[in-house]
Amino acid sequence: MSDAGESDVGGPGSARRALRRIDGEVILLWTLPAAAIIWGSAFLLFPGFRSPMSPTMPADQVAAFYRDNLAAIRSSMILFNWFGVCLVPILILIVMQIRRMAHRTPIFSYAMLGCVASGPALFLIANVCWLLAAFRPERNPELTQLLNDFAWITFTILVPYLIGQSVILALAIYFDDQPRPIFNRWVAHFNLLVALALVPAAFVGVALTGPLAWDGVLSFWLKNIAIAVWIVVMGVVLGRAVYRERAEQRQRLEGPEELVDA
Amino acid sequence: MSAVITPPASSATPPTGPPHHRIAWHLWRSPKRELWLAWAILVAFYNLFFPVFFIVAQVQPPPQPTWDLATQVHWFHERQLGIPIGFGIIFAIGGMNAINNALIAYSMRRMSVTRAFGYSYLIIYSLSAIPGLYLLCIALIVGTLRPDRDPEAVGWLYDFAFLSFDGTMGVFLIGSLIWMVAILIDKNRVFPKWFGYLNLCNALTEVVVAPCWIFRRGVLAWNGQIAWWLDMVVFGVYQVTFIVMLFQMIRREDFGTGPLPDLARKKAQKNGEA
Amino acid sequence: MVDLADKSGRARFVPGQPDMWAFVLFETLVFTAYFGFYLFCRTQTPEAFLHSQAQLDLRIGVFNTLVLLLSSWSVARCVQSARAGAYGPALRDAYLTAFFGLVFGCSKVFEWAQQIQLGNGFDSSDFFTYYFFLTGIHFVHLLIGFVVLGIVIYQLRSPARRSQQLVETCATYWHTVDFLWVLIFALLYVVR
Repeated sequence: MSDAGESDVGGPGSARRALRRIDGEVILLWTLPAAAIIWGSAFLLFPGFRSPMSPTMPADQVAAFYRDNLAAIRSSMILFNWFGVCLVPILILIVMQIRRMAHRTPIFSYAMLGCVASGPALFLIANVCWLLAAFRPERNPELTQLLNDFAWITFTILVPYLIGQSVILALAIYFDDQPRPIFNRWVAHFNLLVALALVPAAFVGVALTGPLAWDGVLSFWLKNIAIAVWIVVMGVVLGRAVYRERAEQRQRLEGPEELVDA
Repeated sequence: MSAVITPPASSATPPTGPPHHRIAWHLWRSPKRELWLAWAILVAFYNLFFPVFFIVAQVQPPPQPTWDLATQVHWFHERQLGIPIGFGIIFAIGGMNAINNALIAYSMRRMSVTRAFGYSYLIIYSLSAIPGLYLLCIALIVGTLRPDRDPEAVGWLYDFAFLSFDGTMGVFLIGSLIWMVAILIDKNRVFPKWFGYLNLCNALTEVVVAPCWIFRRGVLAWNGQIAWWLDMVVFGVYQVTFIVMLFQMIRREDFGTGPLPDLARKKAQKNGEA
Repeated sequence: MVDLADKSGRARFVPGQPDMWAFVLFETLVFTAYFGFYLFCRTQTPEAFLHSQAQLDLRIGVFNTLVLLLSSWSVARCVQSARAGAYGPALRDAYLTAFFGLVFGCSKVFEWAQQIQLGNGFDSSDFFTYYFFLTGIHFVHLLIGFVVLGIVIYQLRSPARRSQQLVETCATYWHTVDFLWVLIFALLYVVR
């Protein structure tokens, strides 16, 4: 993934460095609100989320849940399946911004890339398990409960990549030593806070009731609200960074030739 | 590479003084701070990873494939809290793995070889975490969730977990081979050639472990002397070695594009300049 | 082996990269561990092992060993020729080595097919588990050996490349493949 603007040092004659190609980034950026709306609708559509399913439900009740809500479960999960990976282009836009930061090595953008690829995969596994459970509602209730357990645990515990992303981004911002950093410091603090908020969800297996259970305050509400807030805040912050870069590029192309300092 | 380079630090030499001051300087102020931070995270990750698997969750060394369902259910019951708590830690710190892979990908970027090696390794090892680690942790957690679950279902989760752990081979096989080829054809001498060959040894352990999908008892089962114990020894040697190798690489790093200078020579240069 | 004779002239001369020797040592240790497990397992059920061993055809084993020894000879000749600058003969010897390796490979596959037809599969008995495992992992080393020979041939073909050290390193690897086979042959076929 080589950027056009990847020359190491501004040596003589490189006052007009080749500019990074950024066409289309605004389109990708605006897929975020669309994805957010779709995700939000699917979230509300799935009866298991509206009032989160209790882990203590016996197998028969779980089977009954799937039998009674077939249409809602299937349509919401199909929506999630279609649009589950929609966050990836946004995360890549963040990677592109990290590359613009004043770092000596590309380690942070590599690490971010490592997180981006596998994140949605875990979500899709949970998604498939829910759809599977809804496929044959007449299945042995114990098996349906097993699938349901698998789906819920996977959905709740998929935080490692999200935590990783936030921490890596925070570190990248902290190490971005330039007069006008790409992202402000508070974005780093915010990301660390979000990472912290997502940690309790990793412990979802500890109990079937209480705040750590998959319907509990920490594992369900805190985790999902943190993710939602992250999407909104990072969407705005990323949008500002992307538009700022476009403005700077336009200035560089139109303005008088001068030594560029980003 | 970023479009902007940090202006060189006014003094690129570490301060003298107590060790924690010097370490703090390396992690926060040194021109190599990103590399040192990544390396520190790598070490921290493995220092948490192995104790969790061996001591907290007690899922390694693995139990036997030959146990009957009742014994398997009992095994889960013993770890009712250990597994969710231990794996909770794993899932909380799992993101560190991305930094480990990034550091290794960076080592390939420093080599004289195409960047395709680094990116391939990064992608392969990033996705390896799902079948090779996360899925099996989830299976084990689901296994401990309900003590009254049908033993047959528990047995399925038991097999799923341990076969995934030993039996996810291709990602590590191909990933190690990619690093090996990069090291062997590298002209920048980032790593010594014997380390390239050690990658081959690690890749071969993934071949040796393949029979774990066939055997339920004996040396080649998922807990067998060859498929698990011997492979773990080779893997352990490999892990320690690459942590040390990365340390040496960072010490020698000069952020150039040519051959990496040897440490002794660097010291002589430093003394010469002082 | 051929190159040891040169040690007198140069104090710290090791044929090929010293790194390859480190690898050889490591692999030998690992294989020693495999053999250790085999021998231990054998002492547990000696009659069963003897019975299974009797089903192996000693003639094929001897043939395989001879073929690999010949290939070691040809690769040593190749190194000698390359050192003397006679790259034509060296290249021919390299091809010859590959040919011997191929003969060994085919013979091995034939032997496996024969054993499976007799009803002795990977999991039919403890002995045959070891048999297929040891010969299998050796076969993987042989396949790697073909890649290594390919490197030798690639190096010898063009005057621009011809690194003597690389040729010697690859030859060292091939000798190791032969050496490991001799050990396996002794353990599985001969020791009864």
